[in-house]
Amino acid sequence: MTKEARTIIGLEVHVQLSTQSKMFCSCSTDYIGAVPNTNICPVCLGLPGTLPVLNGKVIEFAFRAALALGSRIADRTWFHRKNYFYPDLPKAYQISQYDIPLASGGTLVIETEKGKKKIGITRLHLEEDAGKLVHEAKDGRLSGSAGSLVDYNRAGVPLVEIVSEPDLASPEEARDYVVLLRQLVRYLGISDGDMESGSLRVDANISRTFPDGRFGSKVEVKNMNSLAALEKALAYEERRQDKILKNGGAIAQETRHWDDGAGQTVSSRGKEEAHDYRYFPEPDLPPVVINESAIANIRENLPELPWEKEERFREEYFLDREEATLLVSGKNLAEYFEETVKAGADAKLAANWFRTEILRLINEGKFDPGTPPASAGNLAELLETVKEGRLSNTAAKDVWGKMLQDGCGAREAMKTLGLSEGSASGEKLRAIIEEILENQQEVVKEIHSGKDLKGKKLKFLFGLVMRETRGQADPAEVKETIEKMVR
Amino acid sequence: MVTEDEVRHIARLIRLEVDENEVSRLQEHFNEILEHFHSLGKVDLAGIDPFTPEEGRSCPLREDEVHPWSGRNAAIESAPLSDGDFFKVPRIISEVESDDA
Amino acid sequence: MTLDGLGAAETASAIRNGDVTASAVIDNVFKRVNAWESQLNALITPLEERARQDAERLDRQVKDGKAAGPLYGVPVIVKDNMCTEGIPTTCGSNILEGWRPPYDAWVIRKLREAGAVIVAKSNMDEFAMGSSTEHSAHGPTSNPWDTERVPGGSSGGSAASVSAGYVPVALGSDTGGSIRQPASFCGVYGLKPTYGLVSRFGLVAFASSLDQIGPFARNMEDLALMLSVISPHDPQDATCVEGKRPDYVRSGDNASLSGLRVGIVREFLTDAVDPELVVAVRDTAAILEDAGASIVDVQLPNAGKAGLPCYYIIAPAEASSNLARYDGIRYGRREDAGDLIGQYLKTRGAGFGNEVKRRILTGTYVLSSGYYDAYYLRALKVRRLICREFDQAFGEADVILMPTTPSLPFRKGELVDDPVQMYMSDVFTLPINLAGLPGLSMYTGSSRSGLPLGVQIVAPRWEECRLLQCGRAVENALGPAPLAGGSDR
Repeated sequence: MTKEARTIIGLEVHVQLSTQSKMFCSCSTDYIGAVPNTNICPVCLGLPGTLPVLNGKVIEFAFRAALALGSRIADRTWFHRKNYFYPDLPKAYQISQYDIPLASGGTLVIETEKGKKKIGITRLHLEEDAGKLVHEAKDGRLSGSAGSLVDYNRAGVPLVEIVSEPDLASPEEARDYVVLLRQLVRYLGISDGDMESGSLRVDANISRTFPDGRFGSKVEVKNMNSLAALEKALAYEERRQDKILKNGGAIAQETRHWDDGAGQTVSSRGKEEAHDYRYFPEPDLPPVVINESAIANIRENLPELPWEKEERFREEYFLDREEATLLVSGKNLAEYFEETVKAGADAKLAANWFRTEILRLINEGKFDPGTPPASAGNLAELLETVKEGRLSNTAAKDVWGKMLQDGCGAREAMKTLGLSEGSASGEKLRAIIEEILENQQEVVKEIHSGKDLKGKKLKFLFGLVMRETRGQADPAEVKETIEKMVR
Repeated sequence: MVTEDEVRHIARLIRLEVDENEVSRLQEHFNEILEHFHSLGKVDLAGIDPFTPEEGRSCPLREDEVHPWSGRNAAIESAPLSDGDFFKVPRIISEVESDDA
Repeated sequence: MTLDGLGAAETASAIRNGDVTASAVIDNVFKRVNAWESQLNALITPLEERARQDAERLDRQVKDGKAAGPLYGVPVIVKDNMCTEGIPTTCGSNILEGWRPPYDAWVIRKLREAGAVIVAKSNMDEFAMGSSTEHSAHGPTSNPWDTERVPGGSSGGSAASVSAGYVPVALGSDTGGSIRQPASFCGVYGLKPTYGLVSRFGLVAFASSLDQIGPFARNMEDLALMLSVISPHDPQDATCVEGKRPDYVRSGDNASLSGLRVGIVREFLTDAVDPELVVAVRDTAAILEDAGASIVDVQLPNAGKAGLPCYYIIAPAEASSNLARYDGIRYGRREDAGDLIGQYLKTRGAGFGNEVKRRILTGTYVLSSGYYDAYYLRALKVRRLICREFDQAFGEADVILMPTTPSLPFRKGELVDDPVQMYMSDVFTLPINLAGLPGLSMYTGSSRSGLPLGVQIVAPRWEECRLLQCGRAVENALGPAPLAGGSDR
């Protein structure tokens, strides 16, 4: 990579809105796993004579996104027809927006290594999704197959397209942007924001410029179906474009799609001219005139945004950036954390506990913070016990495991496990160790006569003590005390 | 003036097969219509906004409710080409046909 | 009683009262259809069996004392671009050959709820594009007054059906004059309502910002009745306005037009218009004056000249988009061509007729990259200009009188190869669509050569009642529209 060259990336993110019904008809939007062509009706099939009627929830959800991003909402916004031919587009046009989108402007602030960076938002607009084409050929490509099958379940599902300014300077920043946007739409409750299942789709425009003035045209990259793919594809493009420019060539302004299997982008456009979409205002839909009081209502009812919550957690609970980021990564998780603290747990201790014990379980799919197997109150109780020294960390983990298993409180779990409230430390610990040493005099003698070079015998004693104290002792304290007492 | 090449290009754009002998007649027709339109060039349109049909009204909104349609089977059965639960189309020669969304 | 020439209101009343059976009415319908159809070709799909079944059901309900509905047992014909569930709806095109919609249009539902019996789907210019009903995949329709001549278009089949007395009332659609012009040519009343009054749900779209559904009838009471049945607000059409409709049926009750200012547009009464039609306009003005109205001059400097070119940019543009969905994938006719793009090209190439192709191509061109501003955008500005002219004219008049069409019905084949000349037929009707206004074509007698004369009256948006009132006044003076060819055939 040539030094000091710059990358310029802009992202177009399509967010599928999680309304119950489609954008312009009353079919269900729940198409994943559904039998093909069961969520269809004359309207979304585009049968002759049918007309679109706008789902009010779509507007509400889009406003939430616009307000959260600080965008300017238009006084009135029009739909336009985007005309092109493809079998997954039943009307041969997509109802979309063109020059007067729902909202424009706004920012999303990402955290980079160098600190916060404002990424500009160009616009937000609404459009309907197309159906899906299923290939018949075994190699997974549409070209050359004997025929293709069309499923219109997804046709008409509402999308909001969020277009960023070309302010992103690296594949990592692009990834951070998408992660944050994904988090936002989930917080707002407007989308599942899942790249793998297609409820969040990202297209990128990327170009490179060099300090000596050389620059490349921007290239559109599509078909990046995960965060990893996004980063890889953009990194690949950086290298590909650099190579061409270094050799004195020019970058073709084109669309390329990411081939995950081959690890490269491939040109999509043949010699065909660019699409001429012949946009014109949608005559079947009057403009949406913005109702100020409805917007005010939505604004008031916006949930605390992820970055607002993160900042507040840092201030209120004295958490560091990493802890706060982790805890606000999901709205339910953040709420669970906060409830635990409000129920009496020490914030720092809780944060640590979440980081070490709970996040792992969430990632493994064994813990849903939305419906936690242990209530915040019970968790707070457990953490209090640890804080007061009545339970060692190790023991606490056992107790926690029991609590999750039985769905019971800390006290009950401790009882079941036979753990008394008293922690084995200090005087109590010394007493236990003394007893064990008395019973293991041969071992002690061997240690004294220098026959425990590898420390195996010390470990053995250590194990006995730990077993005896049933994990209630602090391992470090046990080790230190044994060593002292053995001498 | 619309050229014959433009007529062919437009026909392709709108996926309409047009015989070669139709092309010149269509070209004439186009030019006649557009010439009538050029006479409007003399009309003073300064300060006039484009017409928008639904002024004074706001787009009516629907409740977000699901009402399934029972005619799905008939729709697939009456399709010219279908395969099980799917509508079917013949092979797509090149992926330049495709578009986004 | 003779059933020939019976009006809709009369028929409904007679059936509800038990004076005549619905079945007898249907018998009569098909008697006339069988007598005339070989000459007229007004129908694409007659629905005799269904109609008889409907009639039997209605007759049983009469016996049970459950007969209700303003159009009870009334036979109605609807243009073949209105979706009728399970019944072929072809729009006069090969591309929708055999297509049976899985749902009813709003207006169809309303007709059925009112007790009407739909007896046929009528012939039309393909996808409503035409002024003569010669551009149909099912052959041309003839004018019942002179079968060498056209009935007008695109709703020629519906107009001819009412004129020939198949039915007392029918539905058509009007985008640039397709109800009013055939009404004039066939000597019946035809009303295009204000844009947004009648739901377009289930009307196969031609030009979405211009299309409206409206009734044909031989008398004003029936016309008002049909309008009241089809006009309730429909939430399935976002361009259909909310709000309670006025009582159209009672609107004609007040015979006095005192206080009404009737505007005449002198620029519209030039040599370009057949002299007998000019006389008809003046005679109609006199009738309205006798009923108490006053006549004033109004100007529409651009509407006449600019309307036609403006329309022939906007309507084809919208049509090119509305007709892009016909590709043989989900319904209709499909041509096998080996690959997808071939299927698109061949299906559409074979399925659409020449006039439709011309308009689709024109429309695509004016929307295409590089031309949008010069054509489509400019046309939208001209459209607003025309609206303003009408607004201004309605500052001085309450209704405006003008010819419906510049000529008497022309011969079949005369204009079919001269599209632009054919377009001229709509020079007085299409500005009304551009401005979204309601317009009524009234039967005002016949020419020296025995052809019907029609005169058009236009009102501001939502003022259908004024049109109905004026139409009544004309009917009171001249009598209702007669059956073409009389009742003895």
